[in-house]
Amino acid sequence: MNDITRRDTPREPAETRAQERDSGRALQPPVDIHEEGNALHLVADMPGVTSDSLSIEVDNNVLTIEGEIRLDMPEGMSAIYAEVQAQRFARRFTLSHEIDAEAIEARLDNGLLHLLLPKKQSHHRRRIEVRAA
Amino acid sequence: MFGDLRRFDSGPLRGADRFRELLDELFPDPGVANIRSVPTGSYPMINIGRTDDAVRVYVFAAGLSAGDLEVSIQDNVLTLQGRRPDDDKGAQENGRRPYFRRERSRGEFARSIALPEGLDADRAEAHSQNGVFVIHLPKREELKPRRIEIQSA
Repeated sequence: MNDITRRDTPREPAETRAQERDSGRALQPPVDIHEEGNALHLVADMPGVTSDSLSIEVDNNVLTIEGEIRLDMPEGMSAIYAEVQAQRFARRFTLSHEIDAEAIEARLDNGLLHLLLPKKQSHHRRRIEVRAA
Repeated sequence: MFGDLRRFDSGPLRGADRFRELLDELFPDPGVANIRSVPTGSYPMINIGRTDDAVRVYVFAAGLSAGDLEVSIQDNVLTLQGRRPDDDKGAQENGRRPYFRRERSRGEFARSIALPEGLDADRAEAHSQNGVFVIHLPKREELKPRRIEIQSA
């Protein structure tokens, strides 16, 4: 009995590590970024990502895009050939200060993510008056 | 599930995994590019899976709607043809948009895949969802695994 548990314990962390590594593995979606009007447009290829599995976050001027690839797979399927070997897409961008993080809009359309990153309205130089003491 | 393929290659060089991960990060997965010397993303990526009664081909083509991909089968070769829109012009008339990053691929592609033997092309179906096209190719009856009952004498 003791023997069995002793043999099992070292294997367990290795397995969880492998799982962690698998879930940690993410594809970088290719993106296009261009400027148009008063905003930046970001377009990312994320096939297989649904609006439920997509998460977009802005934290401390870092924009994180993450999406899980949801495939409709019948039970008992085995892989013959795979070029997409990850379950999710993930990518981070550092935003410049002129982007208004509150006003970011996102649209997901056939696995294509469009992000609209408007610039702040009040992004012009401010003059500070020096008062005489 | 397709992540399983990755586990096969973890042989004796387990310690090198960290190093390989680091290299993978520096030089990302070439994707389809390892077939021929073409730039990454020239073709949409493809996964193929098999069940007892069918073979399924998954085509990862973001931004393409159902009418944009042409799927045909001839002589057990599946051909995928399509066109990814080239929207460089944008709303402005004065030339191209200024791009900060331009990684997505554009333009036409055609890719052919040799299929395993014994598929019934007449009953093949294809549908698209969220930029993934699924082509369902049922196996012919005689190729499905069959259970043979053992009769007691």
